[in-house]
Amino acid sequence: MSGPVIEVSDLVVRYGTATALDRVDLTVGAGELVALIGPNGAGKSSLVNAVMGIVRPAGGRVRLNGRAALVPEGRQMFADLTVDDNLKLGAWRRRRVPGARDTARVYEVLPELARVRGQRAGTLSGGQQQMVAFGRALMADPDVIVVDELSLGLAPKVTAGLAEHLRDLNRERGLAVLLIEQNARLALELCGRGYVLEAGRIRAQGTAADLLASEEVAAAYLGGPAGDVAAAKEAAMETAKETAKETAKETAKETSP
Amino acid sequence: MKPSPRWAAAAAVCAAALLAPLLLSETQLPVYIVLVLAACVVTGLSMLMGYAGQVSLGQAAFFMIGGYTAALIALEELPTWLGLAASPLVAAVLAAVIGVPLLRLRGHQLAFATLAVQLILLNLVGQQEWTGGDIGLQGVPRLAIGGYEFADDVAYAYLALAVLGLTVLITRNIVKSRPGRGLRALATSEVAAESSGVPVAGYKLAVFSLSAGFAGLAGGVYAFYFGYVAPSSFPVLLSFEYVVMVVVGGAGTIYGALVGATAVTLLLQLLNNIGTMEGMPAAAPTVLSYAVYGVLLVLVVLFMPRGLVPTAAAWWERRRSARPRGDDPASDGAERPAPAPASV
Amino acid sequence: MSDFLQYLISGLAVGCGFALLASGLVTIHRVTHVVNFAQGMFAVVAGLTAGSFLSVGLPHGLAEVAAVAVAGAVGLLVGLIAIGKPGTSAQSALIATLGLGFAAYAVEIMIWGDNPRSHPGLRGTVEIAGAYVQKQSFLVIGVTAAVFAALLAFFTRTYLGKALSACAANPYAARAVGINVTRMGLVAFVLGGMLGGAAGVLLTPLMPISYNSDVLLITNGFAAAVLGALNRPGLALIGALTLGVAETMVAGYYEASYQTVVALALMLVIMIWQSSRRTALQEEAAR
Ligand SMILES: Nc1ncnc2c1ncn2[C@@H]1O[C@H](COP(=O)(O)OP(=O)(O)OP(=O)(O)O)[C@@H](O)[C@H]1O
Ligand SMILES: [Mg+2]
Repeated sequence: MSGPVIEVSDLVVRYGTATALDRVDLTVGAGELVALIGPNGAGKSSLVNAVMGIVRPAGGRVRLNGRAALVPEGRQMFADLTVDDNLKLGAWRRRRVPGARDTARVYEVLPELARVRGQRAGTLSGGQQQMVAFGRALMADPDVIVVDELSLGLAPKVTAGLAEHLRDLNRERGLAVLLIEQNARLALELCGRGYVLEAGRIRAQGTAADLLASEEVAAAYLGGPAGDVAAAKEAAMETAKETAKETAKETAKETSP
Repeated sequence: MKPSPRWAAAAAVCAAALLAPLLLSETQLPVYIVLVLAACVVTGLSMLMGYAGQVSLGQAAFFMIGGYTAALIALEELPTWLGLAASPLVAAVLAAVIGVPLLRLRGHQLAFATLAVQLILLNLVGQQEWTGGDIGLQGVPRLAIGGYEFADDVAYAYLALAVLGLTVLITRNIVKSRPGRGLRALATSEVAAESSGVPVAGYKLAVFSLSAGFAGLAGGVYAFYFGYVAPSSFPVLLSFEYVVMVVVGGAGTIYGALVGATAVTLLLQLLNNIGTMEGMPAAAPTVLSYAVYGVLLVLVVLFMPRGLVPTAAAWWERRRSARPRGDDPASDGAERPAPAPASV
Repeated sequence: MSDFLQYLISGLAVGCGFALLASGLVTIHRVTHVVNFAQGMFAVVAGLTAGSFLSVGLPHGLAEVAAVAVAGAVGLLVGLIAIGKPGTSAQSALIATLGLGFAAYAVEIMIWGDNPRSHPGLRGTVEIAGAYVQKQSFLVIGVTAAVFAALLAFFTRTYLGKALSACAANPYAARAVGINVTRMGLVAFVLGGMLGGAAGVLLTPLMPISYNSDVLLITNGFAAAVLGALNRPGLALIGALTLGVAETMVAGYYEASYQTVVALALMLVIMIWQSSRRTALQEEAAR
């Protein structure tokens, strides 16, 4: 595969007159783990929905190079259907491919689900539902999986388990990941690269290490020391922009054939 | 002081309405009277749909109640004016009584419930001996008030106009009053209105029975004008017709009700003229009128969901504000469209 | 006793017709949240079309199936207009289907005129325990049972059926896995059209149908479906059978003209009873 799996450029999303995303650029390279962090209402879900074609952008471009699958915010079960049927519907985009609806491979990756396969999804616990949402996305046999809020409402241990799954899938199958996560530390530790989205715009981007080191990000998302935030912001923005350019070049090199 | 365009428009409409009976021909007058009576019913229904956010698919039932009330009283040799006075009261009281359980329903449930009420009433009226069964009540005497007998079509046209004027005035005052503002909150969200202290159930019941009262009064005039009432004069389709008029004109506005009733009636009349031309098949007028209802309703709902008047008003506002300096932008909001369409 | 049996069976047959109609209403409502006022029209169109097909010489069976297919196509057309335009709310869609019912009147009168029509179904009667029951009644009951079984299998066993259920359960998640929810809504309308059509071809031999029979048909279908809040086909079936039997009993033992009054009153009571267990907040949230 060549080139980034997700390439978003100049994306604008509006709801009526309110602008949720204002000229956003974002890329996810093949096999890359990318974090997207930002406060509530920043526009993260809007970005995800535009990428998945659920929301029609008002401007800009979304290019998918390969198949994307979504683990939607809030789990979003087909509550009346069984776990197995939920998983099977994950393969809808590949419904004409023979064997695409075989759920066995998901139970291999998420053995916890095998026990409840006949149960109605609406009756599962939150963590189990998140796993079903996960498995449903895997059923699409995606090149990139987009996770909107991995940890929402989950016990830390469950979150860690799912993060582990993601890492494994990335390592073993070369699955690219775009991870949206309130817990910025978790996200940045898992991913190599990250973006910070605020009020519909990309505020900072760079390698996870740089973002973790950035005072601004630390202050806003990691509960770090709050100094002169405004000044720190300026400084951090500068470094973030620099590193962003660097990484962009690098990823371009890496991903070109 | 320069008269505002709003007042000028109102004055022009009034003048045209008042002159019309004198100018219209013998064949046109009955159409005009039916149109004005429909406008009365539609004004009430428009308030129900626009403010209380509820659709009644059985509004013709109250029209029928008014008609039968007037006819029964007049045929009992009681003073005919008593029949006219009783027709809105009986309809409003009946609406208040059935409204208590019925208005717990909302949206499509209420729509079907009102439709059911009309079907039940039609059925019952068609069975009873004292209502004349399927044949109905014939030979209703002409209306007389204080020695003056309403004898010809012109007199009934002015009577209908007076009734419409009363309806419009009452509606206008209610909409502008404090409860009227509460009503407007109701249209957006019942829950929000309730939590901000609007007595939702009471207001809904009041609007429901008021709209029934308007329909009843119009029905009373109808009975005296035509001289008979029968179940077949008040079919379910008549109720649907009123809904079409409201939707076309725009729910929740007085002008919308008037424009809707007028536009639909005129269009139907035009097509009726075409349909009865020589060489047309016998079914042509019916076919054309149904086609008009259908096409009009679909087109308006899909492409002009707020109705003619609010859409035109919004267009006018935009044009005005696009100009460098608009004159008095803050006119009263009485005729503004209700924020939310009726929920079904 | 033999009267009772006769009323019961013919009541069940009529109820089965209502059940088919109601199941179409439920199918469409579940997937699209639209209350389809044109549901009764599907039955009228199919009933009258079947009569025409028979009169031009199509054999029984073929004529009825073709009429049901026509109703399916009409369902598609109604769906395209009611939900095809993006951003049409469920409220607007209901009014649109009301309008389409009117438009259909125009077409129906042009084709079939405005008198009630009927076509022969299965001729003859069967004697059971002294009661004479029309064979057509048994046909209606049998076909309805088969249709409901097929419907159940479709929704629980086939991939398309599950996708339809998925749209009903969670449209956002359905979109997330790539299901085109509008297209599924159209599939529901086609199904609804065919179910309404089946009701029409089966009922027309039992009771003549004219263009404006749709109001009574939709009201009865709605009354049946409302028992399961327009979402549960099983409850709709129970509601429809109860309604059919109750109406036939009233007509048989008491007075034919009161049968619809009984059905409608029953519907009102059920709706009001249900609403007393529900608050405005719940309804607005569910919208
Ligand atoms: N369907 C919608 N209609 C109108 N406004 C919307 C809609 N969806 C989102 N918005 C608005 O767009 C903005 C961005 O919302 P979005 O859901 O993308 O934020 P988010 O970053 O995902 O937030 P959170 O972390 O809380 O999930 C918010 O201001 C929100 O109110
Ligand atoms: Mg979000």
